[in-house]
Amino acid sequence: MDEDLIAKKDVLEATGISYGQLYRWKRKGLIPEAWFIRKATVTGQETFFPRDKILSRIEQIRSLKEEQSLDELVQILAPEAAPETVRHDDPPALPSVGPEGRKLLWKDRGYTFGELVALACGANALRSGTRPAEAKLLVDLVRADEAVVRAPTGMTALLGEKSFEQEGFSVRIMFALLGREPLRLDRESRVKHRVDLEKVTEQVKLALREVA
Amino acid sequence: MEGQSVSISGSGRVSGGEYSQVRISGSGRVEGDVVAQEIRVSGAGRFQGSVKAKEITVSGAGKFSDRVEADVLVTSGSCGIEGDAEVKELRSSGAQRIGGNFRGHYVRVSGVLHVAQNLEADVFTSSGKFEVGGLLSADRVEIKLVGDSRAREIGGENIDIRASSGFSFGFSLTRGFRLGVGIGTLTVGEIEGDHVLLEATTADVVRGKSVRIGPGCKIGRVEYTDSLEVHPEAEVRERVKR
Repeated sequence: MDEDLIAKKDVLEATGISYGQLYRWKRKGLIPEAWFIRKATVTGQETFFPRDKILSRIEQIRSLKEEQSLDELVQILAPEAAPETVRHDDPPALPSVGPEGRKLLWKDRGYTFGELVALACGANALRSGTRPAEAKLLVDLVRADEAVVRAPTGMTALLGEKSFEQEGFSVRIMFALLGREPLRLDRESRVKHRVDLEKVTEQVKLALREVA
Repeated sequence: MEGQSVSISGSGRVSGGEYSQVRISGSGRVEGDVVAQEIRVSGAGRFQGSVKAKEITVSGAGKFSDRVEADVLVTSGSCGIEGDAEVKELRSSGAQRIGGNFRGHYVRVSGVLHVAQNLEADVFTSSGKFEVGGLLSADRVEIKLVGDSRAREIGGENIDIRASSGFSFGFSLTRGFRLGVGIGTLTVGEIEGDHVLLEATTADVVRGKSVRIGPGCKIGRVEYTDSLEVHPEAEVRERVKR
């Protein structure tokens, strides 16, 4: 985890932005909380950032904010910070969802960010051979919890299967599970499909940025 | 929003749901998540679920054990929120406690405000006493110090922190100043802003473009880029121009 870091004051000096801007962008979610790294130095506590990420993000914000409001920027650069602002009308255009993914949750228009991530999870499962009814379990689970797309780091959605036989009946249960790794299942259950939510969220975000 | 109104004036409990109005003037408990236009607590009210409302008024004792979302929250009594709060406009002249993070647009404190984690707003004004466990961040931070306030960090564009004006306190304030103690103080780890003006403030580090350190301040280090003014009755250990 030895990323190249840059001190906050050096960011301001290098980019010429003000404290006001930096804090405002942070409040809007344009600069993720996770990028603020507090470290003890000889002169006390200081805040550092991952150098490449912060510099390119500031560059993006500055080049886009001429035409767009900060809220629109959040939608483009960091939709997970404010999923409620996203309304997308054409999920099949996003490669991580695709036409097959859309069928898992049919709406005329106005898909929210959470729904898009949920669909991408479902589509991801479909592509590895999961049946639609089962993939739908994942979609419904992820969609129900907006907090998940806001902080997807380390979150996993998985589709499990449990079979048992009793008095001549054989029962197979499919279930979806959402949680932070490491997730554990009992011994009779097995994982049919596993989705890394952070990855999927990132894919959806990038795809949205491209179509915007 | 169509919904029924519910009013508890003796002692009672209702389940969560959608209401147009929830009034508690006796002692009441709401079990489950609530969505309402208006919530008024003038007695003792306890909400055991998340709350979403246009307007919440607490003049008695309100306790919220989960997340609260509102356009306006006015506290003149005592109001405790154990989860996060997302409130566009918060006015507290009573005692307001938030156990999680606070996000909003406008905050006005004239009583007491306690936020365990971060407080983020566009405008933060206080003439009361506040404590913020994490970062207090706003475009405009305007504080008139009354009592002893604290924050771990303050960051924003304009930061204006003043000792209370002495009119109603007569000579005692000027004397207090001479001794380096106003009637209110602020203790904070780090302050960062473009335009920073401080009085009666103790801080480890202050960073800014233009910085004015007024009477009664004790600052470990000031880092500034444009200008720095230090009052003779202030103490600054280290000054760094960048």
